[in-house]
Amino acid sequence: MIEVRGLTKDYGSFRAVDDLSFQVKDGEVVGFLGPNGAGKTTTIRVLTGFHPASSGTVRINGYDVVQDSLLVRSTLGYLPEQIPLYGDLRVQEYLSYRAGLKGLGGKERRREVEAVMEAAGVTEMRRRLCSQVSRGYRQRVGLADALLGSPKLLVLDEPTSGLDPNQRRKVRDLVRSLKEQHTILFSSHILSDVEDVCDRILLIHRGKLRAAGTLDELNLELGGEELRFRVEAQSQEVAALMQELLPGVEGSLDEEKGWTRASYRIPPHASVDSEALSLTLGKAFFQKGRPLSELWIHRPSLEETFFALTQDREVAP
Amino acid sequence: MSSVPKIHHRLGILFKRELFGLLVSPITYLVFTLFFFFRAFEVQTLIESFAGGGSPSRFAYYFLASPSTQFAVVVIPPILTMRLLAEEKRSGSLELLMTAPVRDWEVVVAKWGATWLLFALLWVPSFLQILVLMRPGYLGASLPMGQLFAGYLGLFLVGSLLLAVGLFTSSLTENVLLASLTSLLAGLGLLVVPPMLAEKLGGSSFSQLSVDSSIGQTLLAQFQVVRHLGSWFFRGLIDTGQLVFYASTTALFLFLTVRSLESRKWR
Repeated sequence: MIEVRGLTKDYGSFRAVDDLSFQVKDGEVVGFLGPNGAGKTTTIRVLTGFHPASSGTVRINGYDVVQDSLLVRSTLGYLPEQIPLYGDLRVQEYLSYRAGLKGLGGKERRREVEAVMEAAGVTEMRRRLCSQVSRGYRQRVGLADALLGSPKLLVLDEPTSGLDPNQRRKVRDLVRSLKEQHTILFSSHILSDVEDVCDRILLIHRGKLRAAGTLDELNLELGGEELRFRVEAQSQEVAALMQELLPGVEGSLDEEKGWTRASYRIPPHASVDSEALSLTLGKAFFQKGRPLSELWIHRPSLEETFFALTQDREVAP
Repeated sequence: MSSVPKIHHRLGILFKRELFGLLVSPITYLVFTLFFFFRAFEVQTLIESFAGGGSPSRFAYYFLASPSTQFAVVVIPPILTMRLLAEEKRSGSLELLMTAPVRDWEVVVAKWGATWLLFALLWVPSFLQILVLMRPGYLGASLPMGQLFAGYLGLFLVGSLLLAVGLFTSSLTENVLLASLTSLLAGLGLLVVPPMLAEKLGGSSFSQLSVDSSIGQTLLAQFQVVRHLGSWFFRGLIDTGQLVFYASTTALFLFLTVRSLESRKWR
């Protein structure tokens, strides 16, 4: 659906996007994640044909965004970060105008406007002037606009930013309900939204792709899971047993009043099943008559991953 | 997959949107009201001064070349065009517009076309006045329709050019006020500078200019908008050279506007 190769975009001497390559497959919902100023909006503007790339190519649905610009634009629904509605039009008039621009006419146009108003939940606002709708509704009107003509691809630039928690949840639910019919590129810096909605994540920072994959894959990339437990045993005893179960891994052990608090990081790509490991561990201590009082597998949250990957130091690939 | 809409469909949609935007703007009504108000006084004065008899051709000339006409030609185009692109740039709606399946030039032409239609509407009441005046018992003479047609044509042509200039300045900035003042200055400059230059260069009057053969002065003569109106169009004379001048300069400024819109792509 989206194929970006070696995309670079310079604004004067400032390089906003640097040799970015990624793919989005049909039917995927991909989170486009990065801190403010990472190059998300710039990338999206190239995707939507608003700005051309300095170098590199972008193909959408097999069409080049520069060569076949009109064709690409007519298959794409776009929600920009700022949603500038025409204040002198009513919601329905605005959507009808946009539907016309997208080539819908006559009955089809009216039907489509009704359908997207319904889908985005703005039907009750249809007679309201665009200049008088609240921020949350603006977002929905923008989303309704993006849905006009049922484009295969939806590009949503920060659809949840600036909304209150209730509105955010509604927009998230809406986006989730669109998963079935659309491929979605969902840009955001709000991690919980991305975690909630997206199948896969592209993380960019300073114009470069820092990581790509499912949330689990990103976690693995970052250093994997951590096994934490507390057992009534000497630290040497714990270390000896762990050496058998996880050879070569140094954990941190903390002994206190006959109990040891242990933490072992499972190395990424170690192909260790953390669930199975924790079971084996539990059984082994039980057989030795050493009761465990705590045992859990800690997975880094998206927030930790995000933080780790967007620090200025280079992250090892 | 939806296909790309047809060009006339896109132009129609854009044109209607712009016309609607202009028609719901209070500024449009303010300007129109002011114009009609002064125009009414002028025409009344004009009728009174011709009541004792006078040539219909002179009446037509003054009817066309009144101060309110000059006001309308110079001041109204910048007011109609100032918001068209500057506002879209400021609010960011340009991004939504240009990511819809429409070409840059279609947006420019549709916007210009909508302002042109509105500008043309300005003259509808004055045309009705002519019809009334020609009825028996009013002016007592039939007016020279050919001369009036040429006069209106001249006004529309100069209007076309100044609307294109206004659209161009609107594309240069996000500041609506700056856009209107710049195009007002450009319009005034176009009317005032060529006669002044002609005066300075040749010390010659306008009528002499046209027979002077030096390239600079021939070129300068092309830009004598005031003279085009006063000595030609309002007197019922249509010169194809002038038609070409207005058509090509209007096209030039529309082209510059398109390039200015496209400049977002080179930055």
